[in-house]
Amino acid sequence: MSFVRIQNVSKSFNDNRVLNQVSLDIEEGEFVTLLGPSGCGKSTLLRAIAGLNAIDEGSISVGGKDITNLPPKKRNVGMVFQSYALFPNMNVYDNIAFGLKMDGLKKHEIRPKVEQMLSIIDLKGKEASYPSQLSGGQQQRVALARSLIKNPTVLLLDEPLSALDAKIRRSLRNEIRLIQKRLNMTTIFVTHDQEEALTISDRIFVMNHGRIEQAGTPNEIYIVPASEYVARFIGNYNVWSREQLKGLPVHGLPEQGDMFAVRPEAIRMDTAAGDNENGVVADGKVSYVSILGNVLRFEVDVAGLPVTVDMLSGQSIEHLSTGTPVKLFIPRDEWKSIQKSS
Amino acid sequence: MAGRSTSRHKIMLLLLVPFFLWIFAFLLLPAIMMLISSFQNEGGQGFTLGQYVKGLTHPLYTAAIKNSVILSLVSALVGLAVAAIGAYSFTTFSEKARDRMLSLSNMMTNFAGVPLAFGFMALLGTNGMLTLLFKQLGLSFLVFDLYSWKGLAWVYIYFQIPVALLIVYPSLYAIKEEWKESASLLGASAAQFWLRIGVPVLLPALVGTFSVLFANAMGAYATAYALVTNNFNLLSIQIGGLVAGDVFPRVELGSAMAVILFVILVIALWINEKMLRLARKGGGLP
Repeated sequence: MSFVRIQNVSKSFNDNRVLNQVSLDIEEGEFVTLLGPSGCGKSTLLRAIAGLNAIDEGSISVGGKDITNLPPKKRNVGMVFQSYALFPNMNVYDNIAFGLKMDGLKKHEIRPKVEQMLSIIDLKGKEASYPSQLSGGQQQRVALARSLIKNPTVLLLDEPLSALDAKIRRSLRNEIRLIQKRLNMTTIFVTHDQEEALTISDRIFVMNHGRIEQAGTPNEIYIVPASEYVARFIGNYNVWSREQLKGLPVHGLPEQGDMFAVRPEAIRMDTAAGDNENGVVADGKVSYVSILGNVLRFEVDVAGLPVTVDMLSGQSIEHLSTGTPVKLFIPRDEWKSIQKSS
Repeated sequence: MAGRSTSRHKIMLLLLVPFFLWIFAFLLLPAIMMLISSFQNEGGQGFTLGQYVKGLTHPLYTAAIKNSVILSLVSALVGLAVAAIGAYSFTTFSEKARDRMLSLSNMMTNFAGVPLAFGFMALLGTNGMLTLLFKQLGLSFLVFDLYSWKGLAWVYIYFQIPVALLIVYPSLYAIKEEWKESASLLGASAAQFWLRIGVPVLLPALVGTFSVLFANAMGAYATAYALVTNNFNLLSIQIGGLVAGDVFPRVELGSAMAVILFVILVIALWINEKMLRLARKGGGLP
C-alpha cells in the first residue's frame, strides 16, 4: 500500500472548483513534485494534505492512517513556505526548537536535536542570529530544519525556492534533495518551474485546472508528454496540429494522430538533405538565432509555421545564420502523437 | 545645476518660516516663560526651588500627581487591551466593513473634551437617560456615580479606545498568516501562538501606543473639568486652577506643576524607548 494516498479529493472556493477528484499515491521516501502554473490547484492540494485547507470530498491518508479530518497539529507533517515563515522574534536556535518545545520536550533533550539539525543545514555558529540577519537561502534552510526536527511523516515544500535568486536556488535545490535522501523523507514539492521539477524529483504530477494531467518520472514526462498541455508546459516543445501542417513543405507525416509534439533538440538541421528515410522532412529558413549558454536556439520559419530547433554550441554551425534556407529532419520516433487539450 | 538646487532649497526654507514662527510663538516661547516662571517666587521675583518643593511635597499636589498617573495608567491599559482585540477583529472583516469601522473610529477620536463629557452626563449622569432606564428596569446595580473616579475612568477609557485602535490597527497586519499556520503545524495552539509569537512581535507597537495613551490621559483637561470641575483632584485640573486662579492666580506654582507633568511624560517616553530597544534586541524586529 502507498505511504501517502490521496483519493478523489475535491475542493471549491465559492463556485470555483480548485481541486477536482484528485487521486495520487506516493511511496515512502519518494520525492514527488506537483507541477503546474499558478491557479492549477497544486498549493491547495499541498495545504489540504497539511490540514490548512479543509477538503469538500475525498480522503487523505499517510502511513495507513486517515488524516482527512485531523487538525494540522495532529497530522505530523512538516511544511516549508515560500516566504520562509520564520518567527521574527526568535533566533535560529529557538525557531528550530519551537516544535519540540510545543511537544513538551526538556531543554537537555532539545539541544542535541537542534545541534544535529544545525549541522545538517550547515548553519552551525548562526544559532543566535535572528531571521532578519540571515540571507534568503539561510532563512529557507532554517525553515527546513524547523520542519524536519519533528521527524514528520511527510515533508511539504510549497515553492520554497521561488523567492531566491537563480544561483542560490540551484544550490539549495541540490541541498534539499541530498537532505531528503539522507533522511529518506517522503517529500511533496510544489513548483511552477519545470526545470526545477525535472531536476529534483523522483516523480512528477503535472496539474491542470485541479486535475492531474500526467504522472511519471521526469524522463517520462519530458520525453513522452501525454497531452498538448504537458508538452507546452514542459520545455520548449514544438506543438502542431495536423491542420497546421497541411499544405506546408513537410514530408513523411505519420498517418495517425491529430496533434504532434517534437523536442527542439531532437530536430536535425542543415543546409542540405541528409538521411531522411525514416522521418519527417521540412524546408524552412532560419529567422532568429539566440544563445542559451551551451545551447544555440534557432527559430526556423517553415512557410509561416515557427519551428524551434536547439543545437549544442561548438558544432560547426556558423553557416546557419539568419536568413539561411535549411532542411529540417525529425526522426520518426521523436515525432510524438499527443492528446489535444481543451 | 548646483545653483538652481541651492536656490530651490532656500525657497523651501522660506516656506517653513510661518511654521517656525508659529511654533516659536505658541510653543517654545510659552514653554521658556513657563520654565523661568517655575523658578520664581510668587509675584514673579527672584530665583527659588520652592515651587517644586511645594509641588512635590504638599499632600494636595502629590495626590493630584498620583491620581493622574493612576487614572492614565488604568485608562491606557484598558483602552489598549480593548482596542488591540477590536483591531484584530477588524483585520478579519471585508475591506468595505474595515473602512467603515475605521471611519467610525476616526470620528470617535474627534469626539472628546467638553462635548464628550456632556454626552456622558446626558447618558449616565444622575438624571441621565440610561441611569433612569436602569433604575426603572430594576437594574440599579448598573448605576454608578459618573462624577467619581470610576466615572472619570469610564470616560477616559472611552476616548482612549478609538485613538488606540487607529494606532494599533496597521501593526496587526505585521502578523503573517503563515506564522500562524507554521506554529499550528509545529504543534502550537492559538493561545501559544499569540503568547510566544504574536504579542512579542506586536510589543513595540503596543508599548508605543501605550505611551501615547498615557500622555493623552495625563494631559486631558477639558473632559475632566467639564465632568468633575474641582471635585476630583487631577494634575491637569490643579494646573488649570493655579494658572487661571480660583481666588488668586499662582502662576509660578502652576508653572512648576506643568514642568512636573512634562517630566513625567518625558520619563514615560524614555521607558517606552527603552522597552522598544529591548523588544528589538530580543526579537530581531525591524
